[in-house]
Amino acid sequence: MVEKGPLKISAKELASGLVSAKDIEVLIGRIAMEEEWELLGPTPFPHISTLRSWDHMLLSRYKPFYAPFCDYCCLCTYGKCDLSKGRLGACGINMKAQTARIVLIACCIGASTHLAHARHMVDHLIEKFGEDYPINLGQEIAIEMPHARLITGIKPKTLGDLAYLLNYCEKEVTQCLSASHTGQEGNYLDFESKALHVSMIDHLAMEIADVAQIVTFNFPKGDPNAPLTWVGLGVLDLSKPVVICIGHNVSAGIEVIDYLEKSGLGGPGETVEVAGLCCTAHDIVRYRDQAKIIGPISDQLRIIRSGAADVIMTDEQCIRTNVVYEAQRVKTPVVAVSDKASYGLPDVSELPVEKIVEMLVSGSVPGVFLPDLEKAGAVTAITAIRMAPIRQKFKIIPDPSQIQAQASGCTFCGTCRRNCPIDLPIDQAVFNAKKGDFELLSMLHDLCLGCARCEQVCPRKIPALSLIEAAFQHKIKTEKYRIRVGRGPILDTEIREVGSPIVLGEIPGVVAYVGCANFPNGAKEVGIMAREFARRGYIVTLSGCSAMVASYVRNEEGKTIYEEFPGTFDRGGVVNVGSCVANAHITGAAIKIANIFAKRPLRANYEEIADYILNRVGAVGVAWGAYSQKAASIATGCNRLGIPVIVGPQGSKYRRMYLGRAEDKESFTVYDARTGERVWIGPAPEHLIIALETMEECMVWTAKLCIRPNDTTKGRMIKLTHYVDLYKRIYGKLPPDLHHFVRTEADIPITFKEEIMRYLKEVGWEPWEKPSIDPTLLKRLIRAQA
Amino acid sequence: MAMTVKPWQWGNVPGHEMATPVKGDVVAKLVKAAKRPLLIVGGASLKEKLGGKLLIDFAAELAKAGIPTVATAHVYKALKDRGVEPAAIMTVADVTNRLQDPNWSVDGKGPHDLVIYMGVSYQLQSQMLSTLKHFATHLRTLSLDRYFHPNATYSMPNLKEDEWEQALNNVIALLKS
Repeated sequence: MVEKGPLKISAKELASGLVSAKDIEVLIGRIAMEEEWELLGPTPFPHISTLRSWDHMLLSRYKPFYAPFCDYCCLCTYGKCDLSKGRLGACGINMKAQTARIVLIACCIGASTHLAHARHMVDHLIEKFGEDYPINLGQEIAIEMPHARLITGIKPKTLGDLAYLLNYCEKEVTQCLSASHTGQEGNYLDFESKALHVSMIDHLAMEIADVAQIVTFNFPKGDPNAPLTWVGLGVLDLSKPVVICIGHNVSAGIEVIDYLEKSGLGGPGETVEVAGLCCTAHDIVRYRDQAKIIGPISDQLRIIRSGAADVIMTDEQCIRTNVVYEAQRVKTPVVAVSDKASYGLPDVSELPVEKIVEMLVSGSVPGVFLPDLEKAGAVTAITAIRMAPIRQKFKIIPDPSQIQAQASGCTFCGTCRRNCPIDLPIDQAVFNAKKGDFELLSMLHDLCLGCARCEQVCPRKIPALSLIEAAFQHKIKTEKYRIRVGRGPILDTEIREVGSPIVLGEIPGVVAYVGCANFPNGAKEVGIMAREFARRGYIVTLSGCSAMVASYVRNEEGKTIYEEFPGTFDRGGVVNVGSCVANAHITGAAIKIANIFAKRPLRANYEEIADYILNRVGAVGVAWGAYSQKAASIATGCNRLGIPVIVGPQGSKYRRMYLGRAEDKESFTVYDARTGERVWIGPAPEHLIIALETMEECMVWTAKLCIRPNDTTKGRMIKLTHYVDLYKRIYGKLPPDLHHFVRTEADIPITFKEEIMRYLKEVGWEPWEKPSIDPTLLKRLIRAQA
Repeated sequence: MAMTVKPWQWGNVPGHEMATPVKGDVVAKLVKAAKRPLLIVGGASLKEKLGGKLLIDFAAELAKAGIPTVATAHVYKALKDRGVEPAAIMTVADVTNRLQDPNWSVDGKGPHDLVIYMGVSYQLQSQMLSTLKHFATHLRTLSLDRYFHPNATYSMPNLKEDEWEQALNNVIALLKS
């Protein structure tokens, strides 16, 4: 940027030979002042319908598939309106549009959450470092913010520029959310287009949030050798005072560390343990790798009830909303710093640190709301030190000797199981415990989501979650795993190395394990899948809770994936980008491939880049435990950019998938950009978002969804080798859709050649007439026209 | 008087119209009466145990009785090991998606009239049944799982293991008779 802010020119009166006017105000927008770093593309700062035609193109191939959660619309005072079986609501809406509307609302919630996070972060950092603080990600990252450049056409240079970009994001989210009001949008495809739009904005907001914190807090700047740290329920040294930060916005957690260091108390772990839960944990260790990651969102109640924390500091997102009550049960004071999550606590901003500490230590309040982050850091650190000897790590998880007595009231009524999100046999486990057998109870630890719905409904008030934890206590100390600190963005130099093999298919794909911990069958499945694909030479990227739990599976030598594989964005690399907002770097890498490797213009050129990614970049996201609205918008943002996503079975509760139909050849027909001819490309990728049932099925589909129309014969052969190999291992036969992906004999994996040739003969396969094309959905990219 | 049954998952109350609970011979007669049934077998069939067997064993018997079968998740191998060659291997979303099309059938022999889910995990199955309830009104659906599925046209009520086993054996016996 060369100038700050839009230029405003005002004139009380203007008179010339042609014009006479009063009270004129002319605003020359920011875009006009942007230096000409690249020719401006067609869609700078796209509005709600600017990219509608792209969306409709995607949605004509990947048609929305709806699975409503509820038969009613309950959003206005005419309701509840029964929309089942084709009925219309009082406003005229039908079930498809209503379900799409709910999806849009979810995506708006998700995007606005990251956006509000980014806004808080940027405003806080501007206050701390000034608006001219430079965006500098080091020598090896010239394209510092690919989403910003792609979507807005702006090349941000300072924190002030980020604040300006947030204005745009906020406007777009408002526009999209307004479309969900009763009596606004009524067509399901246009609801979906708006969901895609707001989810694209989500990726920009995530990028802003993460880049702002990377540059100011000096987090790793794409370092493939970012240090290893610890994750797990057993990582804490309980002989020390312990601060546990919960949430996603690390600004406050950093103040705790800064206070400790400035006060001569040393870094995290020296005199005070500083640890985190959920994404704020990722970011704490990006700041100081001596801090610790306890685990994903599902570990919150476990760790609170274990009494480990002498103070809990909450920031924002993914915090248990009854955190104050649960903390009170173990005499842990809470310091809430976010105005988005203040829990009814008294605002103590105006009080001196000593007074606030006194309130917390005396127990006169269960916690405080303290949005002054610097003060919150001091209060939290001092309170932890003073509370530790008082609390003595007071816990409410019973000793193993008490399990049987606490389970004795169980009548095996099954109510707990019938309220468990994943139908775990809690009833059987507690009933067995009543008889002195704790084995099933202990086994449930690895599967349980930690939500405690079972306890809420138990007619005998049995604390089932606490009993599960009690039965597992003897193993807690072994719950320590090595994880690489989130490295942030992918280096431009790495993109130059891997751009060609990814686009040509010789690196079989980029698989991103992202998102939350609502796993259908325990966290370890993520680790198993990640290792499988890293060993196969895919580039494995991870973020958020999935990045944490992927370390829970050790190899034959006892190593986690972060110890077994390098942290480079290259064949067989395992790349932890960091917290939730660092997801933008994964999609950003796909954008960079299109720009750096393929030289596609980046600036405000969304459709072309998304078209390139859809047709050429074999990337797939796997959100196996997705639960949140944020995960909905992250996934939908991937989809607009042409990246398919797999969610676990619980993801079906998002109510919408985008599914292709392989047999619908017309929908998988594209332009050959060289000639303008319409050419069938095979169903690649077949879906944009799909919920799958089992880990085994997920692995097969992960390999399949990495196939792209543009693969070279060598690349297609490599991708098919993995698809066929996994399919044969899991199903015991060749994939029945192989003829959709073999274009010529040269595509056939050598190791299965005879078998595949026999199969292709059986199904009457013929080599494709035009196996090699330059695929595009965009008519304007046909070069023959030019 | 009709049975009143709560959905297995307490929170899974979609609306005032819920599945007709069926058990005993009625289930068998429903399946027997269908002209073009389709059986969809999911991944939970490899874990669910009843009567000393796995649910997949019962699914295989139904398939052998002549119901065209779709193997979802990774159940194909287990069906094959039990002597069943399913009509298709598909994801449960893919088959459910196609069933919204009134002209679609898994084997090209004409549209289905009864879709039977078996061994698809509860929450996922509930969502698939919801899709068909709303957008495939030409179809009737039946869950042969142990737990009451309100989004189906017909569902077993929440059964004890022996009742469930008996119900499945009845269906198999009637189809084979």
